[in-house]
Amino acid sequence: MSAVLEVEDLHKSFGGIKAVRGVSFSVRKGEILGIIGPNGCGKSTLFNCILGQLDPTAGRVRLNGEDVTGLRPSDLNRRGVGRTFQLLQVFPDLTVRENLILAGQEHHGSMIGRLFGPRDAGLTASADTMIGFFKLDHLADAKAGGLSYGQQKLLDAAMAFMAGPQIVLLDEPAGGVNLTMLASLKERLRAMNEELGATFVVIEHNMEFVMSLCTRVVVLAEGAVLAEGTPAEVRANPAVMEAYLGH
Amino acid sequence: MSEFLAYLIVGIATGSIYALAAIGFTLVWQTSQTINFAQGEFVMLPAILVLLAVKLLGVPIPVAVLIGAAAFVLIFGVGFKRAIVDPMLPHGVLPLAIATMSLAIIMKEGAKDGFSAEAQSFPSPFAADTVSILGTAVSVQFIMIIVVAFASIAALQWFVTRTRTGRQMQAAAQNPNVARILGIPVERMVMLTFIINAALAALASFLISPIYLAKFSNGETIGLFAFIAAIVGGFNQVRGALLGGILVGIFDSLAAAYVSTSYRLAVPLALLVLIILLKPEGLIGRKEERHV
Repeated sequence: MSAVLEVEDLHKSFGGIKAVRGVSFSVRKGEILGIIGPNGCGKSTLFNCILGQLDPTAGRVRLNGEDVTGLRPSDLNRRGVGRTFQLLQVFPDLTVRENLILAGQEHHGSMIGRLFGPRDAGLTASADTMIGFFKLDHLADAKAGGLSYGQQKLLDAAMAFMAGPQIVLLDEPAGGVNLTMLASLKERLRAMNEELGATFVVIEHNMEFVMSLCTRVVVLAEGAVLAEGTPAEVRANPAVMEAYLGH
Repeated sequence: MSEFLAYLIVGIATGSIYALAAIGFTLVWQTSQTINFAQGEFVMLPAILVLLAVKLLGVPIPVAVLIGAAAFVLIFGVGFKRAIVDPMLPHGVLPLAIATMSLAIIMKEGAKDGFSAEAQSFPSPFAADTVSILGTAVSVQFIMIIVVAFASIAALQWFVTRTRTGRQMQAAAQNPNVARILGIPVERMVMLTFIINAALAALASFLISPIYLAKFSNGETIGLFAFIAAIVGGFNQVRGALLGGILVGIFDSLAAAYVSTSYRLAVPLALLVLIILLKPEGLIGRKEERHV
């Protein structure tokens, strides 16, 4: 199957500190790739390099074969890279529906259309579909700032899909979410993948979440790829256990 | 009773002008963390520019109003952001606040030395008649000030909440980082709020100057009352600034009528102290968290 995202020999240094050292992996269409590793292993730096928030020192990032290394986050978003945030980043004074419309509207229509077109950018139906899919129907007209943390995480994930992305990068989606909401989030992401063929990369501390959701896992340690394989293969890898548990 | 009603209407009229200035205050605060201590002078200057255009160019008042408003929006909307806010903001909120205080002094002294130290009459676009409301004679001018100010605020509220550009403005104010990632032109949206602020200030100037006359020192009271109005209502809400403006206007008018004109300035300040003690986020403001 063709690769949607390819990361090739990516390096990132901060002064003398090498945070990411020659990381390579690819994400195939329709898969859920997990990236795990102990604290300080370079996960967030790697994510920020892929998403254009940091310029890599060396290496390439390709989206559907096109070199997108160093593009700005907004350009990547326009090209079909959706993302969620480790710290919640919804628009608190807009309603759930308005948040979703906003997440999609910059990708629809010409500049003239954006200025003078309908205020919902023709996206109300898509927003309502997403609201239904993420089971936020009863909250569609509620201000996002008034939602619980878990509900905001669901909204954040739904927003990532509004622009019709090729791939969605989830930055610690399980962080701070209670168990009930976590199960709901996992179930919705899996349904997105199975029913709509959505492709994901998940960076996560929560091993259980990654192992039960992802089809393939990349393990980072000290800025480099330590292991790669199915969740079962990674679990059985003694080097992974050593990196995580120190024995 | 009829006297009270007359003072109340005067209070609502002046309050709606304070509200225009206070709304501008909150808009620029929300999008760029700029506390514009020159806001009062922003309301003082457009009327002076109009009179200057009449004096220097010999144009009729309506043309002078257009020239004055356009020049003001260009210089104190676009120019203010480019020349003062953009270079100062990276150094923090306090240096920027000091810069706007300096701007206030420059604008005030500039108007005094460059135009006149004397109060100048400014023509009113409204008839000098009175109408009877519940048996009380009320000036048409005050009624029209309320109508124009409220219509402008309603139009602004419609623009912010009901248009795509308005929603982009809200997004840029609430979460600039994500708005930028979503492709929203955040810088353009912030500039738009400065232009709207300047336009609101110009409107407030044209409404209030026929009453208070056009004078270099007008900004002192207006700026203070607009600032109090924004805090009383809630610094992060347009509706709050409107409510705060009206309340301050009414308190100001009733205090001048029933307490003493000597205590005119003290009454809104007392209201400010009360609100800060009892409801620091403002009457309908939202509590904000800051991570430091």
